[in-house]
Amino acid sequence: MLRHSLRGRQAVLTVLGFVAGLLAAGATVAVAAADFDHPGVGTDVLAAVYLLWTVGWLFAPILAGGGDETLRPEHFALLPVTPRQLAGGLLGAAFVGVPAIVTALAFCGLVVHASGVRVLVAVVAVPLQLGFVVLLSRVLAAALWAVLRSRRGRDLGILLTAVAGMSGFLVQAVVRALGPGLVSGDAPVLSAVLRWAPSGWGTVAVTGSWPTAVAALAGLVAANVALLALWGVLLVRRTTRVAATTEPTRRRAFGGRLPATPVGAVIGKELRTWTRDPRRRVALLSTVLIGVIIAVGPMLSGDGGPSPYAGIALVTFGCLLAGNLYGLDGSALWHTLVAPGAERADVRGRQVAWLLLVGPVTALFVLVLPGFSEPGAYPWVLALAPALLGGGAGVVALLSVFAAYPMPDQRASPFAAGRNPGVLRLVQQLGIALLLAVVALPPVAVVFVGRAAGVPAVSWLGMPVGLAVGGALFWWWGALAGRRLASRGPEVLAQVGKPV
Amino acid sequence: MNEGMALQLSRLYKTFGSNIAVDHVDLQVPAGSFFGLVGPNGAGKTTSLSMAVGLLRPDGGTASIFGVDVWADPLRAKALIGVLPDGMALPERLTGRELLTYMGLLRGLPAATVAERADELLAVLELADAQHRLVIDYSAGMRKKIGLAIALLHAPRLLVLDEPFEAVDPVSASTIRTILGRFVASGGAVVLSSHVMALVEQLCTHVAVITRGRVVAAGPVAVVRGATSLEEAFVHIVGGHTGGGEGLSWLAS
Repeated sequence: MLRHSLRGRQAVLTVLGFVAGLLAAGATVAVAAADFDHPGVGTDVLAAVYLLWTVGWLFAPILAGGGDETLRPEHFALLPVTPRQLAGGLLGAAFVGVPAIVTALAFCGLVVHASGVRVLVAVVAVPLQLGFVVLLSRVLAAALWAVLRSRRGRDLGILLTAVAGMSGFLVQAVVRALGPGLVSGDAPVLSAVLRWAPSGWGTVAVTGSWPTAVAALAGLVAANVALLALWGVLLVRRTTRVAATTEPTRRRAFGGRLPATPVGAVIGKELRTWTRDPRRRVALLSTVLIGVIIAVGPMLSGDGGPSPYAGIALVTFGCLLAGNLYGLDGSALWHTLVAPGAERADVRGRQVAWLLLVGPVTALFVLVLPGFSEPGAYPWVLALAPALLGGGAGVVALLSVFAAYPMPDQRASPFAAGRNPGVLRLVQQLGIALLLAVVALPPVAVVFVGRAAGVPAVSWLGMPVGLAVGGALFWWWGALAGRRLASRGPEVLAQVGKPV
Repeated sequence: MNEGMALQLSRLYKTFGSNIAVDHVDLQVPAGSFFGLVGPNGAGKTTSLSMAVGLLRPDGGTASIFGVDVWADPLRAKALIGVLPDGMALPERLTGRELLTYMGLLRGLPAATVAERADELLAVLELADAQHRLVIDYSAGMRKKIGLAIALLHAPRLLVLDEPFEAVDPVSASTIRTILGRFVASGGAVVLSSHVMALVEQLCTHVAVITRGRVVAAGPVAVVRGATSLEEAFVHIVGGHTGGGEGLSWLAS
C-alpha cells in the first residue's frame, strides 16, 4: 500500500516529509550526544525533545484527518479474525511508513546518550518507546473516530482542529518560556515532570539508577500492553457497532423579530447558521479573539493601556474570515437560485447578518478602548470603524460571490481539509486587503487634514465621512455581488458544489 | 412556443470537458401529465433536469415552462416550478420548520400563509415530530420529504423531482404518490426521474427513456412499453442485455 501511495505529488510530499523528519531526527540525536554545562541537563533536554515527538504523534491523527485511513478496520470486519489478531496486524501496519521510521531514528538518540552497559538498556528502550507513541496515536485516532460518528462529535472535531492548528504557536510559546530555565539547569520541577512523564521513561531508563531503569522499562511495557488492549476494545466497537443517532430537539437560537420579507428571512437564516455551524462559530470566535489579543497585547508587554485600534483590526479580520460564505454553504445555493429574484435578497441578508454580528463588538471596542489609553485616537477610530464596517460588509459579499471556492461537505469528516485553491486564495486575500485600504482612505484623509491644520472640528468630520463611505460601499458592493449572483448563479453553484 | 406544454426541452446540449453529458435532448411534457424520466446511471437525467430548472447553464438549446423560456425570463419561469434536486445540500443548520418558513418568506409569501402551509405539509409528510430538529440530523428519506415540502410550498404548476422516492420508506412513498396524484389531477404536471421501472410504470402517464445523453424513446407509457413490461422494453431500448446468467457457477455449490 505504501508503494501504491508513492505516486506523483503524494510521492513528492512523502519524500519531503521524510527529509524533514530525518533532519528532526538528526537534531534529536545531536541533542542526545551533546554535552551541557550542568550535569543531568542533557537528560532533561532529551526528555523534553521526546515529549515533543510524543505530542507530535498525538496531534498527527487530528491534523492528518482522523488518522491514517488506508487500512480501515471495517475492511476486516467480515474476515474471520479475532480482535487481538486484528489489533496486532494493524499495529504492524502502523509501523510501516515514514513517520515511524523517522521517529525510530530519533529515539536511537537513547543509544547515543547511553554509556557503557546502558547501551543494551537503550536498545531495549528504543522499540518500547516507539511502540508507546505509535500506540498512543492509534488509540487517540480510534477514540476520535468513535466520537466523530455523531454530528455533535463532528462539530466538536472542528473546534479540535482549530486548536490543533494553533498548537504550533502554543508549543513555540511554551518552549520559549521554559527552554532557558531547562538548559541552565535551574528548573527542578520541570525536569521532574519531564522525567516522570511516559515520554521520558526511556531516557530515565538509560541514565537513572538501576532500579529506576528497570522500573521505567517495566512501566513502558505495562503502558504498551494497556494501550494495545484499549485499542483492541475500540476496534471491536468500531467494527460491530452502528452509529448512534443523536436526536436533540433544538428550538430557535436567536433572531428575534425580523421583518417577514425575503431579506428578513435570509437575515434570520444567516444568524442561526452563524450561531449553529461550528465552522462559522470558529470564524466568529477567532475574530473576537484576535481583537482581544491585539487590545491587551501592549498591556502584557508593559506598554501602558490597551491598544485603541483593536476594534479596527477586529473588523478587518472579521471580513477576512467571512470571505467565502457561499463556499461554506456549498450546494445549498440551489434553493436560492430556484426562488425567483432571491439572489439579491440573499446577498443583502448576508451583509446585514454579518453587520449585526461584527458591528456591536466593534462598537464596544471602538467606544471603550481609546478612553483607557489614548483619547486622542477617538477621531481616527470613530471615522474608520463605520467606513470599515460598511465597506467590510460589501467586501464580504463581493468575495463570497466573485472568489467563491468549494469547501468539504459539512456532513463529512471535519478534518477533511480539502484542496485549498492556493493561488485563488492568495489573490482573494490580496483583494480584500486592497479594497479595505481603499475604504479607509477618505475618512483617514479628512482626519489627517484636520490634525495638520489644527482644526479639531475638521478631524471630527471624519466620522460622518466614514459613515457615508461605509453606507455607500455597503450598498454599491452588495448590489454588484447581487447582480453577479443573479446572472451567474449556476456558475457559482457549480464552483461551490464541487466535491473536495 | 407551445402553451399547452408544461415543460419543453429542445435541442438541449451540455458537455463537461470532452464528455457529452446531454446530446441535443428534445422532450415534451404535456400539462396534466405525470412524466417519468428513466435511464441507466450517468445517462444525463440529472443534467437535463438541472438545465430545465435553471440550475445548470446549457451549452445550447432551450428549455421552457408553460411557454416561458427558463433562461431568457427566469423570474417568471421560476415562479411556476417546484424543484427537488438529488444529493444537494440544504441550509443544514435550520430546523425543518425554520427551513419551510424561510423558503416561504424568501419566495415572498405572506407570513400567515407560510405558517399555515408549513403546518399542513409537515403533518401530511409525517415530519411534525422532527420539525424542531436540525436538517443536518435528518435521515436521507426525511431530507427527501422536507425537500418535497419546499418544492410544494409555493403552489407551483410544474414539479421537477430528481429521484424523489430514493431512500423513502414505503409508507411515506405511498403518501407522496397520493400527493403527487392529487397535484396532477388538479391540473399540475410532474416530471420525475427514477431508475425503478415498476414505480414509473405504475405511476406515470408518460415516459421518456434517456441513455448516453440522448432521448431514445418517449411518449405515453402504453406506447413506449408496447406488449411487454416497461422493464423489458427499457432493457431492449437501451440495447443492453440482462447480465447475471452466466459464470458464477461455484455460487450454487
